[in-house]
Amino acid sequence: MTASLDQITDTVRTIVADVLSVPADELSTDTDLRDVEGADSIKVLRLIARIEREYDIELEDEDVFGVSTIADVADVVRKAL
Amino acid sequence: MTTLEHPTNQHYDLDPRVFGLFLDESRKYSSGWYLTPDDSLETAQRQKMSMVADLIHATSRSRVLDIGSGWGALVLHLAGVRGCDVTGISPAPRQRDFVEKRARQRGLSSRVRIVTSPFEEAADLPRGLDAVTALGSVVHMPDLPAVFAKARGLLRRDGRMYVSESCFRNQAIRARFDRVDGTDFVREAIFGNGELRPLSELVAAAEDTGFSVETTVDLTRHYHRTIEQWIENVQANAAALNRIQPGIAAQLEHYLDVSNAGWGYTTKHYALVLRNAR
Repeated sequence: MTASLDQITDTVRTIVADVLSVPADELSTDTDLRDVEGADSIKVLRLIARIEREYDIELEDEDVFGVSTIADVADVVRKAL
Repeated sequence: MTTLEHPTNQHYDLDPRVFGLFLDESRKYSSGWYLTPDDSLETAQRQKMSMVADLIHATSRSRVLDIGSGWGALVLHLAGVRGCDVTGISPAPRQRDFVEKRARQRGLSSRVRIVTSPFEEAADLPRGLDAVTALGSVVHMPDLPAVFAKARGLLRRDGRMYVSESCFRNQAIRARFDRVDGTDFVREAIFGNGELRPLSELVAAAEDTGFSVETTVDLTRHYHRTIEQWIENVQANAAALNRIQPGIAAQLEHYLDVSNAGWGYTTKHYALVLRNAR
């Protein structure tokens, strides 16, 4: 069964909350990940790695380094599935 | 490797006891080689040294130079297990004392010599060597063509050079990341004046020096697992580490964590075997 965009968004939000140590309900889908308190480029890379493992995908470099919001991440994951 | 004479790298200047608390017993400070992910750090490091010895065709008649010999893991392995005659070179005097003591304890003093100097400046190195090894040390040397030319000049015809290094994953990644904060942290704090290059630049320098490229090995996943196990050791020995230097355990863990986050995305770790032959 293919995951819906909403399901992917929820999963991505959960992983982002875990990696960046913030409550999931404080994360809106259009929050810039690099602007979250305590986030840095290493943490963003680490959460991309978690998401790739979760879905068993490898994102293109442009996506890995280009995404900025949870909605962006969910979108590139959906395209990669 | 930094040194008392060349205080360029704060990481290597840490109290030597710190390294004894997160590296394996051999104090090898480079990637292991894992046959299974469950291999212990000690096993992986022994397997790696055995692999390097095989790749340079080490025998009891071999004369080898190890550039950036650190705490002597590979020097002592090649001398003790393969019976090679080995010279190690490192700029750090306290590393020499450590290796020479271990060599004496193992009855290897006649086959082990440590030179304290930056490789680029060392004048009295043995020549006609069967092999030169450089595990994660050329990253500290800005003039790579000069390093390869000097190493090749020390080798006999048909001798081999094993060089392993952390690399940018490609030129585009290098152009993108060479000047961002995370890279500066890795370069300055971890590699100390390190010059991360893409593999293509290592290969080009090797070709231009006159080497043939015999083998390329991708060690990236092995290094990731190695650093995971170092982090486990830092966590297990946090109290002892913090007694040596308060707060060092968290610093080390952060620093190893940052190194591990980039593997495959921004960085790779490759080994090359170069042959002094057409």
